[in-house]
Amino acid sequence: MIKRLQDIIKKISQHLRLNTRLINYYWQRTRRNKLAVAGLAFIIFLVALGIIGPLFTLDPTEVNFEERDMPPVYLPSEQFTYDIQTGQYTTKEIRGTWKHALGTDSKGRDMLAMLVSGARISLLVGLIATGIAIILGTIIGVLSAYLGGWADNALMRFTDVMMTFPFFLLLVLIVFIFGRSLAIIVLAIGLTGWTGAARLLRSESLSLRTREFIVATKALGASDNRVIFRHLIPNVISLIIVIATLSIPSVILAEAALSFIGLGDTTKTSWGIILESGQNTLETSPWVAVEPGIMIFLTVLAFNFLGDGLRDAFDPKSNI
Amino acid sequence: MNNAVLKVSNLKTYFFTGRGTVKAVDGVDFELRRGECLCLVGESGCGKTVTALSILRLFDSPPGKIVDGRVSYDGLDLVKCPSKRLRQIRGKDIAMVFQEAQSALNPVFTIGDQITEQIKLHIPVGYARAKDRAITLLSEVGIPSAESVMSYNPHQLSGGMKQRVLIAMGLSCDPKILIADEPTTAVDVTIKAQILDIFRELKTSRQMSTIFITHDLAVVAEIGDRAVVMYGGKDVETAPVSEIIGNAKHPYTSGLIACLPDIAKSTGRLTSIPGATPNPLEMPQGCAFHPRCPKAMEVCSQQEPTETTISKEHKVNCHLYT
Amino acid sequence: MKNELNHKLIQIKNLKKYYPVTAGLFSRHIGDIKAVDGVTFDISEREIIGLVGESGCGKSTLGKTIPRLEEPTSGEILYRGTDITKLDKKGLRELRGEIQIIFQDPDASLDPRMTVGDSICEPLVIHNIDNEKKRMDRVAELMEQVGLEARQADLYPHEFSGGQKQRIGIARALALNPKLIIADEPVSALDVSIQAQILNLMMDIQEKFGLAYLLIAHDLSVIRHMAHRVAIMYLGKIVELANKQELFENPLHPYTEALLSAVPSFKSKGKGRILLRGDVPSPLNPPSGCHFHPRCHRVLHICSKEEPLLTEMAQDHFVACHLYR
Repeated sequence: MIKRLQDIIKKISQHLRLNTRLINYYWQRTRRNKLAVAGLAFIIFLVALGIIGPLFTLDPTEVNFEERDMPPVYLPSEQFTYDIQTGQYTTKEIRGTWKHALGTDSKGRDMLAMLVSGARISLLVGLIATGIAIILGTIIGVLSAYLGGWADNALMRFTDVMMTFPFFLLLVLIVFIFGRSLAIIVLAIGLTGWTGAARLLRSESLSLRTREFIVATKALGASDNRVIFRHLIPNVISLIIVIATLSIPSVILAEAALSFIGLGDTTKTSWGIILESGQNTLETSPWVAVEPGIMIFLTVLAFNFLGDGLRDAFDPKSNI
Repeated sequence: MNNAVLKVSNLKTYFFTGRGTVKAVDGVDFELRRGECLCLVGESGCGKTVTALSILRLFDSPPGKIVDGRVSYDGLDLVKCPSKRLRQIRGKDIAMVFQEAQSALNPVFTIGDQITEQIKLHIPVGYARAKDRAITLLSEVGIPSAESVMSYNPHQLSGGMKQRVLIAMGLSCDPKILIADEPTTAVDVTIKAQILDIFRELKTSRQMSTIFITHDLAVVAEIGDRAVVMYGGKDVETAPVSEIIGNAKHPYTSGLIACLPDIAKSTGRLTSIPGATPNPLEMPQGCAFHPRCPKAMEVCSQQEPTETTISKEHKVNCHLYT
Repeated sequence: MKNELNHKLIQIKNLKKYYPVTAGLFSRHIGDIKAVDGVTFDISEREIIGLVGESGCGKSTLGKTIPRLEEPTSGEILYRGTDITKLDKKGLRELRGEIQIIFQDPDASLDPRMTVGDSICEPLVIHNIDNEKKRMDRVAELMEQVGLEARQADLYPHEFSGGQKQRIGIARALALNPKLIIADEPVSALDVSIQAQILNLMMDIQEKFGLAYLLIAHDLSVIRHMAHRVAIMYLGKIVELANKQELFENPLHPYTEALLSAVPSFKSKGKGRILLRGDVPSPLNPPSGCHFHPRCHRVLHICSKEEPLLTEMAQDHFVACHLYR
């Protein structure tokens, strides 16, 4: 029994070792693209921020009207106040404090704390919704290509129908009907966003299906299961990774957009929610909207750079 | 008597890639004489195609760059001349025929459009004159009912026909030099024979100077006057074809000849050259061929051989003869 | 009769493979591409039979139809007396071990995401032969037999040169101890100096394991070296079939003559060459009568009207041509 277990462990470690070599090969190729490396570094930073950042920041939900609309330390600002007793306008310059390094919003919540917890929420939304979309897309795409015939037809026409609905309107509708909870939003994005992935993976699998090494495996007498799981899927994994990387930003944007038009989950501080709360005070305290905006911008850019780099690295024909 | 129409000297074209520098062409010398068919022979990766592309600076740049050398044509150094002047030379003075007949023709235009466009680009003639000329050219390369073929789109033609159309396009402005890059590789045996026949005809009828790139020594034997054998980005042997076939000096050349299965007789085992063509990023020290060479000496792995003259027309780069 | 069946490994009888061509909104059937159109020949044990023809003549389709990678439209393929065309899924799986294919492009025929050891091992896994340990030994043995080192088993295909990849393809084909290997242009994608290495290897293992080869090629000089018998194919039909010696020294069919003379060689310089007119016609709409008649240099009146049948002109020399009636 123990010997069997040892065997299994040995086999797994052997497999991992082999895969590290392949991963290493692709890493070497990705590494040549400086922008992709920068993107990856930023994403790793964000993930770390999302996981351990909240331990070091203030409570992002703590409301403190004493310290509302505090500017960040890098941006001293002037505040107009109307004194009821004297009936005069006074201006006073206020400077940010290191306690609230990135300022506070109109309810006195710490911006840094909100951005950090926003990173966690936005990344989670991006990853989970993309995960759902990609899994659905892969199953539908690969199955459609491999089965062919009427099954292919049915699945692809269903995909076409899904594609005819404007993505964002559908999202708005679902959230409007089922409520504004984050889980619903994530699910809605995942369930509507798989169509592109399904189409790409179908066409890739179709071309793989006629490649000689698949024919060669069939000539050895391999079953359909083996062909799909040992040869087709491993060969589309690179494409899956690229599609996933490139669709995470659109998911983050979609969530932000939903929040911005007031359909976000206000109980969670995602970047979109912060952005939305900042739009009313854009003139007096612009940092409340600008800071999450910059975060979204950088994140989207980072994922796109990484996705482009990965696509080149995975393409055996590109000579980098 | 200097009847060289094109002279390539010490040409070096390097590709600067992320993984290192690929010295695709690394010091190649040869001259093309009036009315002759000069063959560049070698296996994949030996630099023969890049040499041809370098003559007209047609490779991708970056990553490619000519780092040294001269290509003298008509008193001009094509390596340094301005690109505007070079564009006038391309197609008009020096024309090129590519291997992939499929991708060298634009699928959305008719054959006629593509040839007449080529003609009008370099010669100031009207459409009617250009069309007449195109039809003449198509018949010259052996296309039956050339007039109707003019209105065809490329996909309506077979591989052999497309190759002929490409040759006709190459000839459209009466170039002085025609560079043909493996025009017989992608086609069947019977079509190959037809295309070789066209090149033979052109040589006698037009006195054209041709650079013919191929990996097939039998093709060289059939149509070449002189041949340059290339290996690892360098020219290793230059001689008249009869010398190359009958009196090869470089071990690589004789190895290549011995490899060919002869259709005339059948012996048991074939002779082969051991090993594989070198990785362009990790060229062996000294003579690039030494790891595969049956006659390798100690000096071969240390020092690069220089050109040795066997006879007036026969030059070889090998330590065996120094 | 029984005895004769025994040393015949494969007997192909009137094999046809048509691809229907459809058009329009309702997929109207407008014709067939007759890739293989009534082919009859057999392969003996330990025999190397060369199958020669130009692109589009159906030689590759024929090669794929024998192990039923393509379903034949009609005809029989007997493997040691059993009709392959009538086998069920299970029988077919077992048969696939006996008949193996080596592909033209070694780059495309190996899974880029699998180590070459796993690729060579795959047939053993599929057919559930041996345990893990024995399989590894077998992979090492196979790799050494094709001139690779056993320690290279952990590498991926992109780490090998073209010639080495073709060796891996051969090792994989040998794993199940097949009786017949169908080699579809096994060297045409390789460099000249490498081709000879692979051809020598193929000859060695043929002798060592007593294999039969169906060697598909457009290159007659390769065939000349390796084959025992040669079949010449034109537009889906065999036009000439003879022993190698006989075929090269005494070709009967005008197409064979032209093919032989078309091969560039050191001596001829193209003199005395029979130049064929035009190209191979489309198999969708082949010429009437003898398919070769529009390009034939010895065409007769009857050729455009009546199709010649494959008949035995001399001992074991078959030809389909009106010149010899």
